[in-house]
Amino acid sequence: MAGRLLLRACATTLRSNVALRPLYRSMASGGGIPTDEEQATGLERRIIMGFKEGKDPYSVRVPKSYSATKEDPQIVPCTGNKRLVGCLCEEDNTAIVWFWLHDGPSQRCPSCGAYYKLVHNELPH
Amino acid sequence: MAHQAHPYHMVDPSPWPLTGAVAALLMTSGLAIWFHFHSTILMLLGTVLLVLTICQWWRDVVREGTFQGHHTPPAQKGLRYGMILFITSEVLFFAGFFWAFYHSSLAPTPELGGFWPPAGITPLDPFEVPLLNTAVLLASGVTVTWAHHSIMEGDRKQAIHSLTLTILLGGYFTFLQALEYYEAPFTIADGVYGATFFVATGFHGLHVIIGSTFLAVCLHRQIRHHFTSTHHFGFEAAAWYWHFVDVVWLFLYISIYWWGS
Repeated sequence: MAGRLLLRACATTLRSNVALRPLYRSMASGGGIPTDEEQATGLERRIIMGFKEGKDPYSVRVPKSYSATKEDPQIVPCTGNKRLVGCLCEEDNTAIVWFWLHDGPSQRCPSCGAYYKLVHNELPH
Repeated sequence: MAHQAHPYHMVDPSPWPLTGAVAALLMTSGLAIWFHFHSTILMLLGTVLLVLTICQWWRDVVREGTFQGHHTPPAQKGLRYGMILFITSEVLFFAGFFWAFYHSSLAPTPELGGFWPPAGITPLDPFEVPLLNTAVLLASGVTVTWAHHSIMEGDRKQAIHSLTLTILLGGYFTFLQALEYYEAPFTIADGVYGATFFVATGFHGLHVIIGSTFLAVCLHRQIRHHFTSTHHFGFEAAAWYWHFVDVVWLFLYISIYWWGS
């Protein structure tokens, strides 16, 4: 109710110099319901806007899979200078091979030899 | 601001789980006190605390999601799982009452006369008010779907109209069912027929009231522009719950009202 009163007040004050149209209908959506583009805020907004630029700073999507060879190592983004990697050497393996991946040249999985390379990410904020 | 590298919501400390637990304790022990010592004060205190907890907890969820942006796509997915699991638990809750009904009605004991409905029971005519109730709830399922599509298509006016209509239909069902309860020729104390009838339909009616309340909150939020055309999970959760309530009624109608007469 308060929302409607506010909108009526806005419409009344604007009436004198603008075409008659409730505030919420001047949104890009036209029909009166806002879009995420207009209204999303905070972390949700940062994630949605990041997707539009092709970025995923909050690791929402499944990481891109590389062939993990010496020439094309699996890229591991990291906000620090080391990160734990769990290698599932083959599909359906029940034992995960865990090791620390450090900044610097590619490291290999001690079990299957796949190449991993740490790459810096800025801590999003 | 936030120094997390993940898209999940680490909630701030909150008193509402504690007040909710205390409310549950006061309501249950209050019920026992009422039964034995005829005093309702403890139970009423628990109920008041429960209502306060509900309002403030979910108010905080709306603040965190709509106003602070914590409900990222992965967080929303978690909320979806949560609602689905909750509704599943409610399905199992009602399954128990249907089990009780079928247990007693499929093999009626000699005490009942060996037939169902038992001796002395005049069941309600399934083609009178219960059929109207069925139509009312089915129609409300249509209007809530209309509301959903209106929101997704960005049509504010139709969204508000169809959601209001859904709530009115829910209210009409509750009104009609209340009249039926008043006029029924049998009571909850009338053997296993009365017990299964009123416990099953009674819990269903409570869920209709809860569902209508949930939808009313969504209407208020829609009017206040909380929902966007792509992010309106609160509404979707209410719509799922409403469809569940409708389906339970259909089972009740077929089993208890129709087959059970």
